[in-house]
Amino acid sequence: MGAAQSTSEEVRELVGKTGFSSDQIEQLHRRFKQLSGDQPTIRKEHFNNVPDLELNPIRSKIVRAFFDNRNLRKGPSGLADEINFEDFLTIMAYFQPIDVTMDEEQVQLCRKEKLRFLFHMYDSDSDGRITLEEYRNVVEELLSGNPHIEKESARSIADGAMMEAASVCVGQMEPDQVYEGITFDDFLKIWQGIDIETKMHIRFLNMETMALCH
Amino acid sequence: MALPGPSIMFLLLPFDSLIVNLLGISLTVLFTLLLVFIIVPAIFGVSFGIRKLYMKTLLKIFAWATLRMERGAKEKNHQLYKPYTNGIIAKDPTSLEEEIKEIRRSGSSKALDNTPEFELSDIFYFCRKGMETIMDDEVTKRFSAEELESWNLLSRTNYNFQYISLRLTILWGLGVLIRYCFLLPLRIALAFTGISLLVVGTTVVGYLPNGRFKEFLSKHVHLMCYRICVRALTAIITYHDRKNRPRNGGICVANHTSPIDVIILASDGYYAMVGQVHGGLMGVIQRAMVKACPHVWFERSEVKDRHLVAKRLTEHVQDKSKLPILIFPEGTCINNTSVMMFKKGSFEIGATVYPVAIKYDPQFGDAFWNSSKYGMVTYLLRMMTSWAIVCSVWYLPPMTRETDEDAVQFANRVKSAIARQGGLVDLLWDGGLKREKVKDAFKEEQQKLYSKMIVGNHEDRSRS
Repeated sequence: MGAAQSTSEEVRELVGKTGFSSDQIEQLHRRFKQLSGDQPTIRKEHFNNVPDLELNPIRSKIVRAFFDNRNLRKGPSGLADEINFEDFLTIMAYFQPIDVTMDEEQVQLCRKEKLRFLFHMYDSDSDGRITLEEYRNVVEELLSGNPHIEKESARSIADGAMMEAASVCVGQMEPDQVYEGITFDDFLKIWQGIDIETKMHIRFLNMETMALCH
Repeated sequence: MALPGPSIMFLLLPFDSLIVNLLGISLTVLFTLLLVFIIVPAIFGVSFGIRKLYMKTLLKIFAWATLRMERGAKEKNHQLYKPYTNGIIAKDPTSLEEEIKEIRRSGSSKALDNTPEFELSDIFYFCRKGMETIMDDEVTKRFSAEELESWNLLSRTNYNFQYISLRLTILWGLGVLIRYCFLLPLRIALAFTGISLLVVGTTVVGYLPNGRFKEFLSKHVHLMCYRICVRALTAIITYHDRKNRPRNGGICVANHTSPIDVIILASDGYYAMVGQVHGGLMGVIQRAMVKACPHVWFERSEVKDRHLVAKRLTEHVQDKSKLPILIFPEGTCINNTSVMMFKKGSFEIGATVYPVAIKYDPQFGDAFWNSSKYGMVTYLLRMMTSWAIVCSVWYLPPMTRETDEDAVQFANRVKSAIARQGGLVDLLWDGGLKREKVKDAFKEEQQKLYSKMIVGNHEDRSRS
């Protein structure tokens, strides 16, 4: 009777792999089933059922991030066609808050993982560099909702920002030197010493059962 | 020794006819009871209070069952109730601007540069918001049936059912037996009676010449048949503020949870229905009904033409001799915890609006029709095998559109009144989202806000 419950064995495995608590996993499993329509895997089309997501300008990039093989740790490039619950949790795990009890090395690792997730969002062709084109693409998408902004303005904004990034990474450039793109190390360099990763987490509520009272 | 065969047969013969006699008698008794206790009161609109008694008994049994479950769960140390959650994540209430400024402040080492431009970090905000909505969003929650906190002996509402005790399982089994073998056939018989009486009655009344007698008869035929249908579902309805009931020339507006809403409202008042012409049984009923009094049925092709619809409704409303129209402006069935956006069509007509709030008590049977999950027949069967349908109907005082408000604002005002009265949450979202995607106008808002922030400042900078 009722929904099929994953065995506690599987749940424990997932707890170990992803770092979520078993309650959170159960909640996320319900959410997964809701999104997938009770199927074992999710495809891109299933994200169309989240109405709030429509408001988000970088919606397609976010959805794409779920299927990105680099985020799923399945390969250096390419997109998966569908993801199962474990993959879903893997992606969600990028947004876990950084545990205050972790030591410095682990904190750095977490931070790197989160920033890598973002890097993958920019670097759509998986070549390891954010080129000017990709940067422009992101800016255009973010500004796409506004019909009054011409493509030219979006481009100039992107160009200006890219120049600044270049100056941070490479320093003074020769006049004919071409800046090829922001590598992941450059990306890290931009954010060095700055506490960005606290903005990259979602606060999961602690599930507590209701007190049985009469 | 005589042959045992025939003699046994001779012995059995009186038993045989006895059984037949008993069967005949019990059936007659059953039908008389049916007639006396259910159909006759339905005709006259009185109630013996049998259903209320039934409800009280059921409540006592449920309380006992829940107690047993809790005791059993405590013994076994099980988690009985599902964790109370209003969502699995804590969403940040800060606005777009504040957050982006904060991100930039913490990120930018160039504190001198006050004019914000696009930065790599801007994507953080949207990324996080997107993830949050994927994990948990307001709208989709509204569309799954409400979850109960105590068990009502229906396995369909209990997700954590585990074997607790023998007594409880026997009780549940008994419940199944009663519901499926006794109540269900009874209800189907009643429904059948009600619908056939409706069709036959309205057709007969249709032959009479127009006049006060015809109207009188038509009203009573309609009411009687709806009352029989109400009893067919064992619906226990409490009406509040009946003095505010809709009058001729008005529009009655209510929140929509299931097709049963129509039966509930129509059994207490005489309305003109509005709807699409269907085929099959519904079509037969519709054609019969319209013979007795003018209902407004639209062909499928006419439904798309909003002007035509509005015109016909306006004509109907302006004729004071015609009945009040019954409309459900949400457009789809919502799970009775909230009221979604009302479509403005019915509010443009300019007639007096009589709002009605309907709230179901889910303890006896969940009346919400999830049309993407169940078809109509499955749904009706589920309803007929529940214990009962208990609901409250509030008739709110009539409202008219003020001179300075447009149809949408009027619709929202009515919606808030209904939500407040019924204890439902007033949501701005469009009920049509269950099937369609978000309209593009809403999409633009977030993007416009962000782009205004960036480009506006960029232009300032280039100007300076």
